[in-house]
Amino acid sequence: MVPVLGIDFERLSLQDALDLAVLIEEEARDRYVEFAEQLALHHTPEVADFFSRMARIEERHRTELLQRRRTLFGDVPSGIDRRMIFDVEAPGYEEARAFMGVRQALEMVLASEIKAHAFFDAALPRVKDPQLESLFRELREEEVHHQALVRAELARCPEKGDDAEAYADDPVAQ
Amino acid sequence: MLEDLVVGMAGSGGDGVVSAGESLLAAAASEGFHALMTKSFGSQIRGGESSCRVRLSTRPVLNPGGLLDVAVALNWEDFRRFGAELPLGSDTVLVHESKAGPPPEDLAPAGRLPRQVLAIPLSEMAKSAAGTDKARTSVVLGALSGWFGVPLAALERGLEKKFGKKGAELVEANRKALAAGQAHALAHPLAAPRSLARPGKSEPRLLSDGNEMCASGAIFAGCEFFGGYPITPSTEVMQLLSRELPAYGGVVLQAEDEISGVGSAVGASFAGKKAMTATSGPGMSLKTEILGLASIAELPLVVVNVQRGGPSTGIPTKPEQSDLFQAVFSAHGDVLRPVLAPTSVEDTFRLTVEAFNLAEQYQTPVVLLSDQEIAQRKETVNLPDLGQIAVLERLRPTTEQLQDGYQRFADTPSGVSPISHPGMKGGNYLAAGIEHDRRGAPTASGAVHAAMNVKRFRKLDPLQGRTDLFQQLGDRDAPLALVSWGSSAGVAREAFELARARRLPVKLLVPYLLYPVAEQVYRDFFASVRRGLVLELSHQGQLHRLLRMFLDLPRGVSSLARSGAQPFRADEVLERLQREAEA
Amino acid sequence: MNAALAPADFKSPLKPIWCPGCGDFGVLQALYRALSAVGRPPHEVAFVSGIGCSSRIPGYTTAYGFNSVHGRALPIAQGVKLANPHLLVIVAGGDGDGFSIGGGHVPHAIRRNVDLTYLVMDNQVYGLTKGQLSPTSPRGLRTVTSPLGSLEQPVNPLLTVLAYGAGFVAQATPADMPGMTALIEEAIRYPGFSFVNIQSPCVTFGEEEQQLRAHKTRMKTLGSLGHDPSNQLAALDLARAYGKELYTGVFYRNPDPPPTYDALVLQRQAELQRGEPRPRARVLERLVQR
Repeated sequence: MVPVLGIDFERLSLQDALDLAVLIEEEARDRYVEFAEQLALHHTPEVADFFSRMARIEERHRTELLQRRRTLFGDVPSGIDRRMIFDVEAPGYEEARAFMGVRQALEMVLASEIKAHAFFDAALPRVKDPQLESLFRELREEEVHHQALVRAELARCPEKGDDAEAYADDPVAQ
Repeated sequence: MLEDLVVGMAGSGGDGVVSAGESLLAAAASEGFHALMTKSFGSQIRGGESSCRVRLSTRPVLNPGGLLDVAVALNWEDFRRFGAELPLGSDTVLVHESKAGPPPEDLAPAGRLPRQVLAIPLSEMAKSAAGTDKARTSVVLGALSGWFGVPLAALERGLEKKFGKKGAELVEANRKALAAGQAHALAHPLAAPRSLARPGKSEPRLLSDGNEMCASGAIFAGCEFFGGYPITPSTEVMQLLSRELPAYGGVVLQAEDEISGVGSAVGASFAGKKAMTATSGPGMSLKTEILGLASIAELPLVVVNVQRGGPSTGIPTKPEQSDLFQAVFSAHGDVLRPVLAPTSVEDTFRLTVEAFNLAEQYQTPVVLLSDQEIAQRKETVNLPDLGQIAVLERLRPTTEQLQDGYQRFADTPSGVSPISHPGMKGGNYLAAGIEHDRRGAPTASGAVHAAMNVKRFRKLDPLQGRTDLFQQLGDRDAPLALVSWGSSAGVAREAFELARARRLPVKLLVPYLLYPVAEQVYRDFFASVRRGLVLELSHQGQLHRLLRMFLDLPRGVSSLARSGAQPFRADEVLERLQREAEA
Repeated sequence: MNAALAPADFKSPLKPIWCPGCGDFGVLQALYRALSAVGRPPHEVAFVSGIGCSSRIPGYTTAYGFNSVHGRALPIAQGVKLANPHLLVIVAGGDGDGFSIGGGHVPHAIRRNVDLTYLVMDNQVYGLTKGQLSPTSPRGLRTVTSPLGSLEQPVNPLLTVLAYGAGFVAQATPADMPGMTALIEEAIRYPGFSFVNIQSPCVTFGEEEQQLRAHKTRMKTLGSLGHDPSNQLAALDLARAYGKELYTGVFYRNPDPPPTYDALVLQRQAELQRGEPRPRARVLERLVQR
């Protein structure tokens, strides 16, 4: 599935590219916030906290990119909006589960970093502007870096978590 | 001089008995009489047994009357099927088609067989005057004119209305039949001749029925949406609104079923419009769930139930007052919804408006309990003074309230929260059947639920003081009470007058507001009472039981109730009152 | 694109109670986007639903919502639209709400053709009440009310709605977010009754094969099959594959949409009123006996 709509990479300006990158982070941040809320509501606090942390990390990435954008282009209105992107880096809603474990959550984050990497990787050949190329390469490398961080955390994670499902109560009819 | 005349006619549907009754009614109305007509049928769509009663009077008519003054039988088989509707007495003048032969011996209970029985060769006379024996009923009308002085000209006008569309020939033929009937009556006077008194000069009146008054009241009240489904005896409300409401800017939807009918009305109310549905018992059963939804979502809605014989399919064409329990109690959960009941064609207009007012004021469904007799009987009605009838609107949020974090279900001193509707900026909210907090967010909290129940009940407290929704007549200190509602109240009023004429110490209470039970009003009424009757048409005597649920009724107040399709007569209620007075 | 209204403008503060992983989250996200693209402000949108997990959706938007009773969203929504034709009316519910208890209302909403959009979140199960059979459950499915396997053939929502004559019929899945978003937007824009069957899996009671991961591999767009959505017969033929294939896209779009019921009502009113509504105080004039 193509995760963007109405974006012509060949015609993309540097401003557009930065705005796109900001929104990609923003989308991911919002998704992690939602997951944190969902998991908190479903009494899976450890993973809820984990997702809150992920959200803060994405927010940091977003702010950094936004800073760069502002430095270069000030407050010129953006031509890119949220409706143009579909889970570029944000994990899909279907990845979450009630009672999910930290390992599962980390695997989800890893997959989303891989996805984001693939996105920039696929975009690169279509980008003409050298400044854009440089930006996308950088963003792609960021994802590699993020993946490494996640893998490191995964390595520290116990292989087999608690079988939460086994302990959880039956679903409740409403 | 006769001040009051009750004529009953029976034949089969093809005879046009009911049409004849309508001509008589129209004639009487145009002459300034007070008049009332009821009809009764068999189950066939056409051609089954068919009957009507027309009561004309120089005084206001309160109910269809008791024993017939004149009974007209075109054949005995059909006539006999209407024992309850066409009760005979020894003073009844019984007119019949001579071809039908003499009346069967068991036509009336012993002691009530009419003393004067007149055989008229109706078929022959009709054939000879009009060329067809179908003009029999015109001959009958002519005879009535001859015997009782109903003006022929008025009857002729009635005929023109009925036959006018079918051509001048038909009108002329029936005019001849009328004349023949009159001539026959003049040539064969009654044993005890009586002539109808002339009514005094009268104001213009309406000739209408309860369903028409209901639809008209709804239009006047500002109804903008009707959703419903055909069901006897309420369908005319929808039909009339289908014709008229769009011209007033409203919408009528004949939905695919009862549930969709009331569902669409609830949607319209949610969208900010005054909305209504009309049905009978079986439809009320189907609508129960959505009524509950309207109650918890606090949406105004008028639900008209034109009661008929129950339970289940029951008797679609006859009146009964057995849906009171359903109107009051039929809901899962704790629900309080107002129930109003008209007692006549005339007050159906005003009470329909009142139903809309209560619905709007208190943001609740309101049940208007009419019944088949009121809904489908035609009577002369005084023109209501529309300037005196208030029309109320729902409380809407102010601009400030919409800017300030509007809460749809905010608690207020009255319990009524300002209600927004889609299109209103700042008023966005979630309406729901699920329990909710002040903002409308779903909740399972017992405390919030309790608070919401309190609010939904508390907002209706002012109804306890609505003495204007009760009619009380007679001395405050009278020890004998008569209580009645709906169509039975018309009989009660006449019985009350007759009882007073006999100097019985009786007082009358007719509630228009049946629920919530206005306890203090009843307590004040019953304070002086030692014996009494609650008159209603239901096997269980539902109002009597309802009152006993909420009040300490004096032990001597008993139920005078029976199943529907057997209307009460003022004379029998009078006899019971007499017995109570002597007890 | 209309930047005046962002998808976030349609997001309410209420947190969904859906199980993490529920397909409805994607539907909600698509709805925010579609509504912002259409550009009507939240206070002019009325969102009516029945009862079920998916019927909770109105509360998660900032539109005026009406989470009503099981199976009755369509009649209620039609009442809303007819009372105020200027509103944008959306109806949502599950397969049980729409095709079991609500089934009797479907043909009439379609033939009446009031302008609204009906989104059914079809997950072949009753989730809210803990996993019973639903009218779209495949034959043989074992559930808590069919422990030995369902004996019934499922209803085919696509075929049913097409056969009743709906002017816009589509199917979508959250597995294709851009596609689903576009379909919802198109359905909203279609002038008349429009229907989108959304294969939105239940993560708690649904089978593994039903989950979105499986959709990604199973789904085929109608476009890729060369389907012409103005061809109603071809649409019916493709709809027969419901349950076996997961076709997404527009099955049928009436190339010449008839006037909507609400437009016709307005026209009638205009004709009868001749300028403005009749004054209500005149209501009894016709009945006066002279």
